[in-house]
Amino acid sequence: MRLSGTRRDVGDLRRRYRKLAVGATAAFVVLAARAVQLQGIEHEAWAAAAQENVTRRIPLPASRGLIRDTVGRIVADNRPAFDVLVTPYLFDLEQDLPRLASVANLDEATRRDIAARIERLPPRRRTHQIVVLRDVDRDRAAAIEQASLSLPGVDVVPRAQRIYPFGTLAAHAIGYLNEVSAAELERDVDDVYRPGDRVGRAGVEREWEALLRGRRGEQRLLVDVRGRPQRAADTGGLAAGAVRRDPVPGRDVTLTIDMDLMRAIDRAFRGHPSGAAVVVEVHTGRVRALYAKPAFDPNELSGRIRPEAYAALLDNPFRPLIDKTTFETYFPGSTFKPIAALAALAQDGFDPGARVTCTGVHEIGRERKRCTQVHGEVDLRAAIVRSCNVYFYRLAELVGLQSLNLMAQRFGFGEPTGIGLPSEASGFLATREWYERHFGRWRTGYALNTAIGQGNTRVTLLQLAMAYAAIANGGTLYQPLLVERISEPDGTPIAHFEPRVRRRVGVPREHLALLVDGLYGVVNDPQGTAYDARIPDGVPIAGKTGTAEVRGRLAGAEELKRAWYFRRDHAWFAGFAPAGDPHVAIAVLVEHGGGGGRYAAPIAMQILQEYLGTTGAAEASGRGR
Amino acid sequence: MRLGRRAREAFDWPLFIAVAALAVIGVINLYSASSSESARLAEIYVTQIYWLTLGAGTAVLVAAIDYRHYERLAWWLYGGATVLLGLVLLVGKTIRGSSRWIEVAGFTLQPSEIVKLAVLVALAKVLHRDPRSEERSLRDLLAPGLVLALPMVLILLQPDLGTAVLLALIFATVMLLVPLRRRSLVTLLALAVGAAPLGWHFVLADYQRDRLRAFFDPTTDVLDSGWHARQSLIAIGSGGLWGKGFMQGTQNQLHFLPDQYTDFPFAVWAEEQGLLGVLLLLALYAFVVLRGLHVASLARDRFGAVLAVGVCAFLFWHTVINLGMVMGLLPVVGVTLPLFSYGGSNVFATLVGIGLLTNVSIRRFST
Repeated sequence: MRLSGTRRDVGDLRRRYRKLAVGATAAFVVLAARAVQLQGIEHEAWAAAAQENVTRRIPLPASRGLIRDTVGRIVADNRPAFDVLVTPYLFDLEQDLPRLASVANLDEATRRDIAARIERLPPRRRTHQIVVLRDVDRDRAAAIEQASLSLPGVDVVPRAQRIYPFGTLAAHAIGYLNEVSAAELERDVDDVYRPGDRVGRAGVEREWEALLRGRRGEQRLLVDVRGRPQRAADTGGLAAGAVRRDPVPGRDVTLTIDMDLMRAIDRAFRGHPSGAAVVVEVHTGRVRALYAKPAFDPNELSGRIRPEAYAALLDNPFRPLIDKTTFETYFPGSTFKPIAALAALAQDGFDPGARVTCTGVHEIGRERKRCTQVHGEVDLRAAIVRSCNVYFYRLAELVGLQSLNLMAQRFGFGEPTGIGLPSEASGFLATREWYERHFGRWRTGYALNTAIGQGNTRVTLLQLAMAYAAIANGGTLYQPLLVERISEPDGTPIAHFEPRVRRRVGVPREHLALLVDGLYGVVNDPQGTAYDARIPDGVPIAGKTGTAEVRGRLAGAEELKRAWYFRRDHAWFAGFAPAGDPHVAIAVLVEHGGGGGRYAAPIAMQILQEYLGTTGAAEASGRGR
Repeated sequence: MRLGRRAREAFDWPLFIAVAALAVIGVINLYSASSSESARLAEIYVTQIYWLTLGAGTAVLVAAIDYRHYERLAWWLYGGATVLLGLVLLVGKTIRGSSRWIEVAGFTLQPSEIVKLAVLVALAKVLHRDPRSEERSLRDLLAPGLVLALPMVLILLQPDLGTAVLLALIFATVMLLVPLRRRSLVTLLALAVGAAPLGWHFVLADYQRDRLRAFFDPTTDVLDSGWHARQSLIAIGSGGLWGKGFMQGTQNQLHFLPDQYTDFPFAVWAEEQGLLGVLLLLALYAFVVLRGLHVASLARDRFGAVLAVGVCAFLFWHTVINLGMVMGLLPVVGVTLPLFSYGGSNVFATLVGIGLLTNVSIRRFST
């Protein structure tokens, strides 16, 4: 066979082989170096990424602790609810959504809403589950769960929904939950919360959040790329397989609040749109009632509240979101007079029997201050019983602002009571310096106004109730006790809170006795300002009415339509019962109610009568069971 | 056609052992890569063995016939392969919008793989017939250029950009053997730079542009091609020094690796065998390529030399582009790893190429 190829000169090619070999070697060296970089230097980071790939952490939520009232009625409970979650990148909008819609029986609007929400997501968020349906009922949840076997992107997740069986009652004190915010998640370095978790937002729910929420558990699964769990046995022991850490349930909190009493107060407030009441035990400081009206419904706030509903809460002129017992402060009006009286009694040379003539008017400089009526000749007792302003103007001239403030401080005004609620106000005691700063110069009239609770002294209802408790118990100012005890879910007690004394007010017993006698007269003397409100043959009650003028609350002309109402005075009653052997102290405020004797006192009487009039209740709360 | 004693003695045992080692490792790796797949795919390592056997048999045949016969038949081979390529466009099997395969007796054949070898043979003939040692001008490149152009156009029509680029690279590498005038070289480079934007707009498909974008800016998409590339890096990096062990790679076994038996088998190997396994593999590939250049340097004529360099270029570019892609140094393009990737036509073409190399090697002393 004749082959065409004869040996020809290949010499000129030879020089090129070396260059090709060098080039090829260089390429392989680069690849080797890259391998060293990936597998040697950066190994740990990539290994972590591989582990993250195959690990799916399923959070096991801890059940939130319950909140009970003092006799064990549950005021914050959990009920099972089912949410439907979708992992967008596993979920095909064309195929899977119609199937989900038919299984879950969704209407067209919901379906479009889900599609829109998924389409809005940026690609990098598509691996994160989103909640598409919240709180579906049990039957639908079961149906979706069944179908989710063939809908890999869909999960039905059980969750506990917080419910508040008493609704608006004690809502401010108990609080509510809502979803943890992005900013909070950012700050959450200990990884306590996950997106979608609920956090206590007010009241006890917020204050005791750390104990109530418990600790989340975790189930770690080995998964493949579609997120399907693998059994370690099936995969030849690829990884450790499933690891489980059980959740620790939250602790239960038992309050000192008595929901029966709360109901009684609610009944007593019927017909009044806005007000508040506080009942505390005089010998322990246990808070039996924190009532503010109107209140929000924590069930509504803890669920998915519609923006309109929330706007309505904000717009409501009676301010349902404001806690009127511990957060809002008021001019105490005549309920402050006992403090002025005690300040005077502490003064050397003050004679409580000395009489002052009330002509219905008190002149100071060019100003004429009016009294409620012409009282004639009054001593201290009569001035308290009949609430004579002129007497207290004279008294204030004698005592001075500083002594009034000092006595108020001893009874806890001007500082928080320490009840342990997230936003407790401290109230305000205006000093001479403060007046000079705000009104240019000091005038004696300011001290006079302060003595009758119309200066710039501001108090919370709780402060007032605690002060009256101290008057009733012989001079011991307690720290109000709202939480009775903490216990494990099975009832094992963890902490029990004993009454705590803040201080002895340092007022001689005979001064207090004089004062209490006057307060008794307010209700029981025919001339007393609360005499008409008393319940004959009822529980003996002592206390003081107050009618506080309302200033500066009106701004816009739009509100003038309602001005007739919002210019009305606040009606007050503060006192204690039974008068001979005091058990509880009470502070009642009817916002814009008018005269205290006429509007606040009857409410207080009704509450105390209902609470103490039936021996059962008195015993139940008598010594904290 | 009996081989002489000398030819038998000249048989390149080191090359044979390196290639055999790659083939065996490749099958073992495919076994692991496909072990978690459904039954149909789990058997692909068996199919791979069939193809290896077929390829090896053909390679023996190819090596046995003196390569000078191929020189004589070069245009017939070239013509036949090109016809096959044309056939693909007419009766080809279309997968994912691209027709690259034809079915012959139950086998699926990818003619573009065979064409690479046919182009090499034709190119070797052209250069063989042009033994001048002086520098060439652009006009001298016309004939070899045409040899490339015809199959290139047919492949681009499929469309299969990866193979076309690969063919061009192999061609360019072989042409490095021929000295070129500096002016011509500059002109060529200028043309290439000028053509790049045109290629971006008119040749590349949307998904190809996306892949390139994802490569240069990995943050643009996490779930698509960038995601694949990243999963490959995770597999390799997490393998570490010693690897996770045979069949123990989580990235592979739990399907995080895309196309783990076609485009990404190296990632499977790297994850399960670690850096040591990777270096062994790189050494084997480098050895085969360098050994091939050695064969070229000993070839008895220009035809054999060009053919040997061509086979080296074929192996080199397949290997380097695939590994560069899997290790995140190059964009994701569908280029297979010789003897490692599942795919009959490529295995077949690779082994036939090795057969040609052996042919050149054992006939270096014959006259």
